[in-house]
Amino acid sequence: MNFQLTEEQKLIRDTVRAFAENELADGSKERDEQERFDRVLMFDKLGELGLTGIIFPEEFGGAGADYLSYAIAVEELSRVCASTGVTLSAHLSLGANPIYLFGSEKQKQNYLTPLAEGSKMGAFGLTEPSAGSDAGGTRTFALRDGDEWVLNGTKIFTTNGGEAEIYIIFARSDKHAEKHHGISAFIVEKETPGFTFGKKEEKMGIRASLTRELVFENCRIPINNLLGPEGSGFKIAMKTLDGGRIGIASQALGIAQGAFDAAISYAKERKQFDQPIAGFQAVQFMLADMATQIEAARLLVYQAAYRASAGLSYSKEAAMAKLFASETAMQVTTKAVQVFGGYGYTRDYPVERMMRDAKITELYEGTSEIQRVVIGSMICR
Amino acid sequence: MKILVCIKQVPDMESKFKLNSEGNWYDNSDLAWRMNEYDEYAVEQAVQLKTQVDEADLTVLSIGPDRVKEMMKKALAMGCDRGAHISDDDSFKKDPYEIASIIAAFAKDKEFDLIFTGMQSQDRGSGQVGVLVAETLGIPSITTIVDFAFAAGQITAKRELEGGIKALIKTTAPALLTCQLGLNTPRYPTLPNIMKAKKKELLSIPVAELHKVASKQETARMYFPEKRGGGLVLEGAVGNLADQLIKILKDKTGVLA
Ligand SMILES: Cc1cc2nc3c(=O)[nH]c(=O)nc-3n(C[C@H](O)[C@H](O)[C@H](O)COP(=O)(O)OP(=O)(O)OC[C@H]3O[C@@H](n4cnc5c(N)ncnc54)[C@H](O)[C@@H]3O)c2cc1C
Repeated sequence: MNFQLTEEQKLIRDTVRAFAENELADGSKERDEQERFDRVLMFDKLGELGLTGIIFPEEFGGAGADYLSYAIAVEELSRVCASTGVTLSAHLSLGANPIYLFGSEKQKQNYLTPLAEGSKMGAFGLTEPSAGSDAGGTRTFALRDGDEWVLNGTKIFTTNGGEAEIYIIFARSDKHAEKHHGISAFIVEKETPGFTFGKKEEKMGIRASLTRELVFENCRIPINNLLGPEGSGFKIAMKTLDGGRIGIASQALGIAQGAFDAAISYAKERKQFDQPIAGFQAVQFMLADMATQIEAARLLVYQAAYRASAGLSYSKEAAMAKLFASETAMQVTTKAVQVFGGYGYTRDYPVERMMRDAKITELYEGTSEIQRVVIGSMICR
Repeated sequence: MKILVCIKQVPDMESKFKLNSEGNWYDNSDLAWRMNEYDEYAVEQAVQLKTQVDEADLTVLSIGPDRVKEMMKKALAMGCDRGAHISDDDSFKKDPYEIASIIAAFAKDKEFDLIFTGMQSQDRGSGQVGVLVAETLGIPSITTIVDFAFAAGQITAKRELEGGIKALIKTTAPALLTCQLGLNTPRYPTLPNIMKAKKKELLSIPVAELHKVASKQETARMYFPEKRGGGLVLEGAVGNLADQLIKILKDKTGVLA
């Protein structure tokens, strides 16, 4: 693996970093406090920059860049605003990518292009009250009726829910099948009759990101909106989540980096016992551990991204990257609060927010336990 | 219309600077590099002009080692059409006159209608290169512009003067303009354009082909100013602090005579 970024990757990093620092950083505290999703800043502007379609070919409105550029972009956004990081990751990896991977030419033109260009936002509804870690518990049903599918059921915890225009929805299309069999994926547009939004979650972290319930009551969609072959929904979901995990791993990495940057500059300035606290070995050791963990996480994330672009298998590597980066984010942000002392526990400094934001990365797109299940099953087979 | 924009790569100004072993410049190693701030305004203005006029060809030029190509890619991604990299590992040793002569030698027979540069570089700050290029080419220059308009061959530029005064200058092409903060807000290069920049022409020209003059000045020494005494922190109980402060104000200032 080549450890040098290409000129394009560096330029993308610098551009996204400048955008994040100039446009996003100032408002992240307030958006968190007010639980406010700012569509223009957190999505539309990403579209103008070409981030919303970063990995897709130009013919579908994308930038034609690689997975590593995507990982770097999510990392840089999350360094100052983790909510923006996940908004992009859920849109691109979960909303748009399944259409790119499994969609027909027509579906790509109709749905992938506006998603990639950023004129529309994407979302992904797999989780249900009875289907969390176990997607086989899906109880949203799709019944074929002539030229239409009729959806009934409820999806919960949908990132970008309510704002997104295009949803990838998983529903059981064969009511006799059980577990992960007989599930299909569908493309559902906002404003489709019978599709409404329910509870908006109030969260511990990533509070500026939307998490919402989707309700389907006799929601009719054209048969052409079936994504991939009938009954292949579980496979589509798992393949989609492989890519999504690179996005979440990058988000976790960015959160950790942001907390580390804040901690190191504070440690150099804060004086106790007549010296900067960075002079105490105990503080230095914390910072050394944080820096080392972040570097290790970055290598895992970049490796998974590299494999995805090179056309190599990457399920295991993406799971490893997501597992390690998210646990790194939790540990690094906790230590960052420690470095700040009592001030770190107040809202005057960003590290308490980062610690709250970090936790979700150990939960969504497969909990840490589920990542270990994925990795374990692959290495023990 | 042919447009040239000249840009320089400078260290990130937040870097921790060290002096080189000769003591006449900063140490070039271990620095993060970026486009000189004023040159970003120049690139932005050139790109805006290119989109305004129908047929324009915009060349970006930079003198320096290989690493400057990264910054030139940014200019190409912002909208320049082609790049001319004048390859020179020792550009930092050259004085403004030599740099200007190299640019003028490149531009001489290319008939650029307009040339944009930054008003100065953040690391050397001589503010001479732009005007010297114009003088060498025998064209007018307008410096430190904060506003620019072009219509029917006529250039109208605003300059910012001391005391809040502005001056309106008119001239005709060919001309050179040096750009100041406030002229515009440089765009972020979009990702699709970053990817497309890869395919744009980026010629490398050895500096020896264009460097024909001797320097007229040299930097004899570079140094950090001596450290002034730091601030004073008073410690103790509040009442005692006030007494200390009053004593200092009496002894050292005229405030409490
Ligand atoms: C903010 C937020 C955003 C989200 N966004 C989306 C989205 O956009 N789309 C979407 O579809 N979903 C989304 N989710 C849902 C998320 O992916 C699930 O919450 C997650 O997969 C876990 O499911 P669960 O909450 O039902 O937990 P459960 O599955 O009930 O897990 C509870 C505990 O049991 C453990 N556990 C479960 N099964 C096993 C096992 N086999 N072995 C070992 N341990 C196990 C888990 O690790 C966990 O510790 C989001 C959730 C949140 C909170």
